[in-house]
Amino acid sequence: MRFVLHIVGAVVLLGAAGWSAAAELDEASASAEAQRLAVGVCGTCHGPHGNSEQPKFPRLAGQNPDYIAAQLRAFKAQTRGDPDAIGYMWGMAGNLNEAVMNALGQYYAAQKPGSGRRGDAALIARGKEIYEHGIEAAAVPACSSCHGPAAEGGGNYPRLAGQHAQYVLKQLNSFQNNMRDVAIMHGVAQGLKLPEMRAVAAYVQAQP
Amino acid sequence: MTHGSVTLRFWMSAVVVLAGVGFVQRAEAVPSFARQTGMACEACHTVYPELTHFGRTFKANGYVLDNLRQVRGVNARREELLDLSQTPPISIMAQVSLTQLQTSVPDVQNPDIPGSAQNGTVDFPQQISLFYAGKIAPRLGAFIQLTYENDAATIGMDNADLRFADMHILPKDQSLVYGLSLNNNPTVQDLWNSTPAFGFPYAASNASVGSLAATEIDGTLGQDVAGLTAYLYWNESLYAEFGAYRSAKQGATNALTGAAGPLDGTSSNVIRGMAPYWRIAYEYNHDRHSIEVGAYGFSVNLLPGATDVPNPLSGATNDFRDIAEDLQYQFLGDEHIFTFEATRIHENMDLNASFAAGAVANLSNDLTTIRATATYYYRRMIGGSLGYFSTTGSTDAGLYPGPADGDPGVVTSASGAPDTKGWVAEVNYVPWLNTKFSLQYTGYSKFNGGGTNYDGVGRNASDNNTWYALIWFAY
Repeated sequence: MRFVLHIVGAVVLLGAAGWSAAAELDEASASAEAQRLAVGVCGTCHGPHGNSEQPKFPRLAGQNPDYIAAQLRAFKAQTRGDPDAIGYMWGMAGNLNEAVMNALGQYYAAQKPGSGRRGDAALIARGKEIYEHGIEAAAVPACSSCHGPAAEGGGNYPRLAGQHAQYVLKQLNSFQNNMRDVAIMHGVAQGLKLPEMRAVAAYVQAQP
Repeated sequence: MTHGSVTLRFWMSAVVVLAGVGFVQRAEAVPSFARQTGMACEACHTVYPELTHFGRTFKANGYVLDNLRQVRGVNARREELLDLSQTPPISIMAQVSLTQLQTSVPDVQNPDIPGSAQNGTVDFPQQISLFYAGKIAPRLGAFIQLTYENDAATIGMDNADLRFADMHILPKDQSLVYGLSLNNNPTVQDLWNSTPAFGFPYAASNASVGSLAATEIDGTLGQDVAGLTAYLYWNESLYAEFGAYRSAKQGATNALTGAAGPLDGTSSNVIRGMAPYWRIAYEYNHDRHSIEVGAYGFSVNLLPGATDVPNPLSGATNDFRDIAEDLQYQFLGDEHIFTFEATRIHENMDLNASFAAGAVANLSNDLTTIRATATYYYRRMIGGSLGYFSTTGSTDAGLYPGPADGDPGVVTSASGAPDTKGWVAEVNYVPWLNTKFSLQYTGYSKFNGGGTNYDGVGRNASDNNTWYALIWFAY
């Protein structure tokens, strides 16, 4: 009986080791595939290492991995419906599997974000005020309460620091129009007027 | 020279000119790429067929980016044996047009009754094309076009570009794409719209009057050659390509065997040996701006063959050396898109064969073509282009012949000079990304060497000014 137990234990151990090795192998191959996609496909718009030069395409370097994976899932499921998501990303994410989406999140999270960029000082100051304190009269909460004091984000809340102002502005518009189906942001953006959106966008773009 | 041979020569010139015009009108936009990638046209095109940076990179990577469900085959080592889209990358393109010349051309059907050909030509269709455009295998893709044209009323081979491409990731995550292109028109494989094959005008009438002179790389040999080129594309910015072309005639048969080859003296302008092609370009992208500067060249030695009468494909050749520079600037905003494209092609000719045969006046000639075009679009929906074109070169009454007695002119040059200059203005309405309505006007200040009485029979350059209305869609 003891002998049989030894055998069973050995088989279980070997199996577990094999499972673990296979999982590592899958993770390694997903990681390699993600790097290949990030450099050879995503990078064409999002820039080398996710530091896009073109304001149409968001900067992804240093972004939270869970947020990136969640967005890729939303593109694949065709639930994120802002115009560039439809035109570009619904197709792009259509064939990605869960492991590669997670690996892409890890790839971009590991990249060094570019520094913040200067802009109109008065606009940035107004944006800082809104970012840190919200607009009470319009029932707009402080952005920092979810996106963090340094706009670093966390979990499913995206990092905003250094993001292209034009991209942030377009997203706020999309939230307002409910083209991106995100209940929290739809509510938050309702109270924002265009000059206020511009100010917040300029502020987060300026953050390192 | 008898009247009959003059007439024959006139019509041969006309055929050559129309063949050249036939090339210019070909331009493509391929929804099968959109189906394959799942991305809207705007990812790869500003407005078709002009490419964006993403479109250029997609092309360099061999047309293989695919986001569709695949039919796959692998072996025991997990090596891919098959990776095939469940939807075949097939597209159809159609052009319907109306052409109005400022002054109609003479009707020469009955020399005893002078008259004019009908003006206001309806082309329905001007052209219908069937494409296979997309992935074949994991690193192999194709852009193959079959076209029905109303002038020939036949379906024939149009542009084709088969590609193998792969990417290597260099240190610091820089990409190095390397590939091969097997194609049938020098520059059809190029990534920028400043080079001839996909250059402006993207569509032109096939019922207008074409000028006599064009450089060899400027579409003259399109669909009549096959070339294999190898290229490198580093970091999506530096591009270098080298390859060679050989004649691959369509519709040619060997007079002795009746088979598709070997080519013999019944074919004309056959490449002797191989014709080398080279290309180098650098593109810089920043913010919404993209700028490219480059150069390209082609060197071809042509055996005249049956240019005048059947001749064996041996002996002296006519040698052409083309060197060109090009420039492209793009501004891509969400609302406003602006593009500037320009190229200058300089050609040196050593016409050993034609000179020995007494068909040309000079042993050596040169020809220079300059084209520059500015294009603007508002929200990819309403836009227009303004283009300048100029072809100038040495005078040679044999190469650019004047009219003989009784010739109706039009496609002749009284001065023996090739100079043709003018401008093109175009307005476009693009209600959907795959449907375009265009109105185009081409105005000439010089045509075949002159402004007034350029053909020696009283026709002015401006008589060839052309209004062209076009409906162009692809699906």
